[in-house]
Amino acid sequence: MSNSGGPTRQSDSLADVVEMLLDKGVVINADIVVSIGDTELLGVQLRAAIASFETAAEYGLEFPDGTDMRRVEQASGRSELEDDDTVTVEGGEDDAALDDEEQSDTERQSAPELGTRPNDGARAESAGGGGDEADGDEGGDEDASDEDADGESASNTEQAAESDAAAEEADDDD
Amino acid sequence: MADDTDTEGETEFEEGRYLYCAVTVDDGTDLDTDGVDDEPVRLLAVDDIGVVLHDCESLYDTADMDELRKWVLQHQNVVDAAGEAFGTPIPFQFDTVLTGDDDRVREWVAEERGTLGDYLDRLAGHWEYRVELRREEEALREDLVASDDRLAELDEEIEAAGSGTAFMLEKQYDQRLRELRRERRTDRAAALRDRLDEFVLDVNELGERTTLDDEDGDDDGMETQARFTVLATEDDEEGMGEMLDEVAAETGVEVRFTGPWPPYSFVPAIGGEDGTETGG
Repeated sequence: MSNSGGPTRQSDSLADVVEMLLDKGVVINADIVVSIGDTELLGVQLRAAIASFETAAEYGLEFPDGTDMRRVEQASGRSELEDDDTVTVEGGEDDAALDDEEQSDTERQSAPELGTRPNDGARAESAGGGGDEADGDEGGDEDASDEDADGESASNTEQAAESDAAAEEADDDD
Repeated sequence: MADDTDTEGETEFEEGRYLYCAVTVDDGTDLDTDGVDDEPVRLLAVDDIGVVLHDCESLYDTADMDELRKWVLQHQNVVDAAGEAFGTPIPFQFDTVLTGDDDRVREWVAEERGTLGDYLDRLAGHWEYRVELRREEEALREDLVASDDRLAELDEEIEAAGSGTAFMLEKQYDQRLRELRRERRTDRAAALRDRLDEFVLDVNELGERTTLDDEDGDDDGMETQARFTVLATEDDEEGMGEMLDEVAAETGVEVRFTGPWPPYSFVPAIGGEDGTETGG
């Protein structure tokens, strides 16, 4: 909208950086080279955990003064919901924070489309593989917490559509 | 990386080199900056190919996401500085460590000289740019509703139906809307890709997975319709920017255009199975 012709590095560029460094970049296949292995999973975790960008400026990414940090934080909060299998690995405090956010309801209503995307399935798989605790969550928290129940329906749209009319109804409000 | 899962145990070693990127070395140019975990970064030149690295004794692994984020940004800063000093670098993936001393690095560079040289030549003067096309959720919905006969029919049927039937019809309505959204996304992505192709050396479509706000309808009410990463020269920037401005001129459409980045998405895996692209 306001490109004025040129590319920029702006408030949400950190997401680009994380994606490029952890999902892309040259992988060196050699016996003498080691790496932490699943950097992609690490990227998912990091994206999920990014809730504040203040320190980014210190390390060189320049965020304009007018950057709406709250918006950015909410965006990252939402991505935690979508990645909830992974996020549970990180611990519960972020989930608790989300409970307080009224907006998260409206945000979630659009989420079901997520499940129809091929990539999302891939992510759910790789995320699940990385955190065993997440598997336990699926059954346990669904009844206990509305937040998690909605999160589930978001990542398993197909099943939700068939078996969970209530969740589907929530989608309709969209 | 997947085929080396057992390396996860080897996070400690006696001597290693954390690798940031490979560059084409000019005479006399050096690099003086701090890297991941504030380690001093240096350039190890092997003839005309330089490797930007720092000395380390372990991999950088942490469960502390703040720390990880800091490292990632520090890594990026080094690659940025290298790009500024030496031109387009070949950026390595975060936390790539070669075990051994400088001589091992030299040996490795000698072994991979062909691949590294080819890519440095090919990428010279080119940078990665990222383009994301977004559309206002509500405007998109209105647009789709107004243009689809099937939705109009369903709407009428819902009006006329009892509550049970209406419930089922509403499901169909949403289903139809979802299909239309998907179609629209595909169309827009294809159209934008065609236009980008005119300007750039290479275009890759990115999946939805990795943006921070990767789903439509987050708090700003925007839906991502397409994401691309392109390889282009700085001279192409202006033309691309103008073209994207045209795209963004449509009501409710927003374009994110970031860069220049080191060409992370346009580099090969080096060694092992040749020609394997990294990532997507």
